Formats: sequence, C-alpha cells, structure tokens
Amino acid sequence: MESTLLFLVKGPLFRFSLAIMALGLARIILIALTAMVQAYRRAGNHNIDLARIIKQTAAGIIPPFSKLSHPGLYSIASYLFHVGLVIVPLFLHGHIQLWKKGIGISWPALPPTWADGLSLLVIFTGIGLLGGRLASIHLRRLSSLQDYFILLLILGTFLTGILVAHPNWNPFPYQATLITHALSGDFLLVLVPFSKLAHIILWPIRNLATELAWHFPPQAGAKILSTLGKEDKV
Amino acid sequence: MRTESAPAKSGQRYSFFIERPVEKDRARRFLEIFAAILKHSNYRFVLDIYSRLAARCSRCAYMCPVYEVTKNPKDIPCYRSGLLFRIYRRHFTIGGIIQGKLFGTGYIDDQDIDEMAEAFYRCTACRRCHLECPMGIDHGLITRLGRYILSEMGIVPKAMAVAVREQLQGKTRNTSAIPAKALINFCEFLEEEIRESKRMEVKIPLNLPDAEYIFFAPVSDYLMEAETLMGIAAVLTVAKVSWTISTGYFDAINYGLFYNDHLLARIAQQMLAETHRLRAKKILIGECGHASRVAKNFLPYFSNHHDLPPVVSCLELTWTLLKEGWVKLDPEVISQKVTYHDPCNMARTGWLISQPRKIIQSFIKNFVEMTPTGTKNYCCGGGGGTVVIDEIRQFRTQVAGRKKWEQLQATGAEIVIAPCANCKKQLREIAQDYGLNVEVKGLHDLIFMALKH
Repeated sequence: MESTLLFLVKGPLFRFSLAIMALGLARIILIALTAMVQAYRRAGNHNIDLARIIKQTAAGIIPPFSKLSHPGLYSIASYLFHVGLVIVPLFLHGHIQLWKKGIGISWPALPPTWADGLSLLVIFTGIGLLGGRLASIHLRRLSSLQDYFILLLILGTFLTGILVAHPNWNPFPYQATLITHALSGDFLLVLVPFSKLAHIILWPIRNLATELAWHFPPQAGAKILSTLGKEDKV
Repeated sequence: MRTESAPAKSGQRYSFFIERPVEKDRARRFLEIFAAILKHSNYRFVLDIYSRLAARCSRCAYMCPVYEVTKNPKDIPCYRSGLLFRIYRRHFTIGGIIQGKLFGTGYIDDQDIDEMAEAFYRCTACRRCHLECPMGIDHGLITRLGRYILSEMGIVPKAMAVAVREQLQGKTRNTSAIPAKALINFCEFLEEEIRESKRMEVKIPLNLPDAEYIFFAPVSDYLMEAETLMGIAAVLTVAKVSWTISTGYFDAINYGLFYNDHLLARIAQQMLAETHRLRAKKILIGECGHASRVAKNFLPYFSNHHDLPPVVSCLELTWTLLKEGWVKLDPEVISQKVTYHDPCNMARTGWLISQPRKIIQSFIKNFVEMTPTGTKNYCCGGGGGTVVIDEIRQFRTQVAGRKKWEQLQATGAEIVIAPCANCKKQLREIAQDYGLNVEVKGLHDLIFMALKH
C-alpha cells in the first residue's frame, strides 16, 4: 500500500519537477539562441567556420585520456562521473517502469549489474570530486555554495537509489529511503535551470556562442558613447 | 596618478599610471557603462551563457602562466571572470536580483572596482585557459570586456591611452608619434643599409597607388627593428612583389584590441581608409601578433565596403614566396641554436604555426622547439598590451613571463625568433632581468641575413 507522500512524490511532484526542468531549460536555450541569432545579424562579419566549431564541440565528448590535462585525475573523474550520471537515470529499469506507467513511453533498460556498477562509479568519482574540491585551497576560494550542494545532492540521490535497489544493503526503512530518493531527485530536477546544471542544455552551443561573441557590431562603440553622453574623444 | 590596489598575496604590488582622476561613485558609473555596453554590443548573450556554464573546476588555472607562478586563487581565470559574472547576474538578471534580495549578496561596491582593475590587467588575454575550459569559456574575452568598461570610466593604463590618442587624434597618426618626414628618412636609411650589407638595390615604394600589397608594420619597428623591416623589404624586392607603404598612415598597431572595442573600430577604420585611398588590393602586416590578428579577424567587422581586401601576414607571404622559389635562403649562414616563440595572437587559434616553422626549417640547421609549442605555447608575459606598461615590468618578467623564461632556458637556445614587436620587447626584458644569454630576433631579421640574391 503506497503512502500518500510516496504517491505524491512519485507522481505529481515528479511531473512538476520535470516540467520545471524542461520549461526552465527550454527558456534558457530559446533565449540564448534568439540572442545569438540577433547577435549574428548585428555583427559586422557573418563569416563563421561552422565545420571547425562543430568539430570543436564534438571533441568535448572524447574522454580526456589521450591528452591528459592537468589536473589529470580530476579530468578522468569528472568524465566517468558524467557517464554514469547521464546513463543511469535514463536507463534504469525502475525508472523506465515509472514512465511507462505515467506517460506510456519506455525503452530498453540497463542490465541490473551495469546499473549497479555505473551508480557505484558515480558515487565513487563524486566523492573524489567533492574531496578534491574541499582539499584544494584554490578550489575552495573559487567555489560557490552550489558547487558543493549540487554534488552532495547528486551523491545523496545515487546513494539512496542504490539502497532502494538493494533492500538487503539498506539499514533504513524502505519507504523512507524511497521517498528521500524521489524527493532529492525531484529537487535536483527543479534546480537544473537555476544552477550550473543548466550546462545540460548550454554545453552543445558553448563553442558557437564564443565564436559569435567575437563578432562585433560595427556601430556598437559609437552608440555606447552616445548612450553614455560622452564625446568621441580619446 | 596611479591606481592603487591592495598588494596581492604574493607580495607583488601591482599598480599602473592612469590619466584622469577617478570619479566618485565609481560603482554606479561602472553599472551605467556596463548597461550601455550590454545594450548595444553582442556581449549580453555570452555573459549570460558563461555565467550559467562556469563549472569552477579550475582546469583553466593550470594553463595560466600567471597562476602557475603565483598560485594565488585570484589569478585563476574563472575567478577573475567570476568578478564580472557576479556583477552581471546581480544587477542585470532577474534571477540575480531575486538572489540578491533573498541573500543580500553580490552587490557591487567601490572595492570591486579596484579588484577588477588589478585583476583584468594581471591577465595578458593570452587565451591559453580557453584551450582547457570544458565549458568553452573564453576568459580573454571577459578580460577585454572588463577592461572596456573600466576604460570608459577612465581606468586605463596611461601608456596605452597616450599611444592611442596620438594614433587617432595626433598629427602623426601613429602610436610612436613618428612624423611622415621621419618615415621617409627611415626608409631611405633602410635602403642604404640593405645596399651596404647585402649589395642589393631595394627601393621602398612610398604612396604607390594600385599596388598589390599595402604594408603596415608595428610602427615601433621603424625605430627599433630595422633588421626586420630590411628583411621584409628585401624579400618583397627579390620576389618582385608589387607593394607600397603609405606615408599618410603606416601603423599596424591597434591597442583598441586590448581594452576598448570602440577604439578598436576607429583604428581599424583608419587602416581600411588608407588601403582604399591607395586602392591597394591586399593588406600586408609585418611582424606583429595583435596587429595581424586585428587585421585578419576584425577588419571585416568594421568595413563599410563590401570589397574588403584580403589580409596577409608577412609570415604567410614569405612562406609562399619561398615555396614558389622566388626567395632563396642560404642554410650555412645561421649556425647558432635557434628556437621559436609563438605570439599568442598568431598561434592560439592555429593560424600562423606551420608557416614560420617551414621557413625556419628551410635554412636554420640547429632549430629546437620549445615545450609546449604551437597553439599551447606560453604567452611571453607581456601580452594584452601589458608590455607597454613600463611600471609593471617587475611583475611582467618575474611573474607573467616566468614560464617563458623557463622555456627559453630549457631550450638552451642562443637565438629566439619572435615575430612580434611586443613579444620582442618583453623577451628582451626577460633576458635582461634573468641574466639569460639569448638574442631576440624577428624572423625576417634572420631571413635577411640568409637571403641569396
């Protein structure tokens, strides 16, 4: 018998969180793309080497093993972390069952051992990344609240997720663990558009954005001076 | 007067001369200027994207020549850009305003201005960080934007402001205040020198209309790098290239690239106007990193004409002429150990990397590469215009240029080729301050020595 809380958390709250994430990301990408088109139109030069940009963008998917950038350990950990982070939530059997019940869409699931392995990978690398951020004075100086909080939230979600999938490993009540897992997952979804997690949708256009930013509108400088009420004097 | 900023933790005081006394309520002025720039330029969308994307992973730090030496968190590129991102979010986005009201954080204050003035000029805008950032953030772009805003409130190194003023409003129309008459004398002097040293007749064509190339050098070369210019003039003569120098405007330098987009546009337009006045078909840029990059990448933005002349670097042209057999070089002339420094503005995007090397390899037997090299080569330490700020020389050589010194030492080279006027100055200062026995030469200096005619 499902408790009301669990029902809420799995159903309406999940749908709500997903909607927030989807709408939030859609807003971000629409604004970004519209602004980029506007910038392109304003620019004095429309020459863009699209082939190079596509190559550069795609190259980010390649694991950083061949050209081990410093700090190498961080780069590898981050890459593996993302691999598990992206695959497990989407291809976990339990999650797919949920969507099948809810929206009717389903797709092939991961074999359970793979799901376990990848989840443990996320937890292991996640702890490494968190530890790395805490241990380095430079990263501590650089980091903001969300840099720790989001990582903790992800770790919490995956930990409770593993405990849900393996009740015999779980020292806590099953329902409570499940609710915590769903709540933290929902919270994570809601946070996506309002934090650096927005890189989910912005990452593919990062190189194009940089390229366009270098295309200046020819009259911008003069207009800026006139807005500021300054004469064009050096 | 000098901007005074609190000494950085590394103990290095960093301050430079500015001209006008800074206004009161600088924070408000900063925001006004920022708002005007966001309204009319293309910076807004990229600021928005970058401020959301920044992962604060510090991979940029390990590429930065300044951070590698100071290990000061303030020199982490993402931290520096974060200064501007924070102000952008807090004052120009709904999310930031809400966050500010909720948590009371992020509001700009007067101290931020000092912090930014120092931070944005500790950066040489070499964009090495951009190569490693997993989010593709170009911190050099943000540095320039920060400097742009500051320059509109009068916070700009005096040395650069004075040079640009002379170039745009002075009679001589160049950053070294060389009058046209002096240029004519210099050219005659170069012709004399070439005649004496190479027994070669070279006539530098001045104000020739309809030439194939109009040549712009960094104007300081006329004062300080005669050999580079002799090399270029000799190559063009021997290859029977149609070229000219205009006595009306002959300065390739564009410091607007370093700190102010509007000045960048105005100076670029001067170069274009002169090119069109003499109806030259192409623009040829001498040995200067930023001038080459500005001419190649930025002239198209400010050209009102649809017939924008192609821009060619002297390194590209000489390589083509060498390939086609117009230029022949004697491989026995240069016996010293030689290495090559990649100017950031030529190499970071991969534009001029193989061409100079192919030229070098055709006549220099004892050539050794630095490590790292090519797109990943280190900035000389004087990039982004910092080399013209004499009062920060200690910072430039002891901090920003330290990695370059280590590279030079490691090669054991007797000559370092640096096809960039600013890099040459910086590398010579590095050699002096570290007691390093290395000669700094332009590529065309050596080409001139080895040229067969």
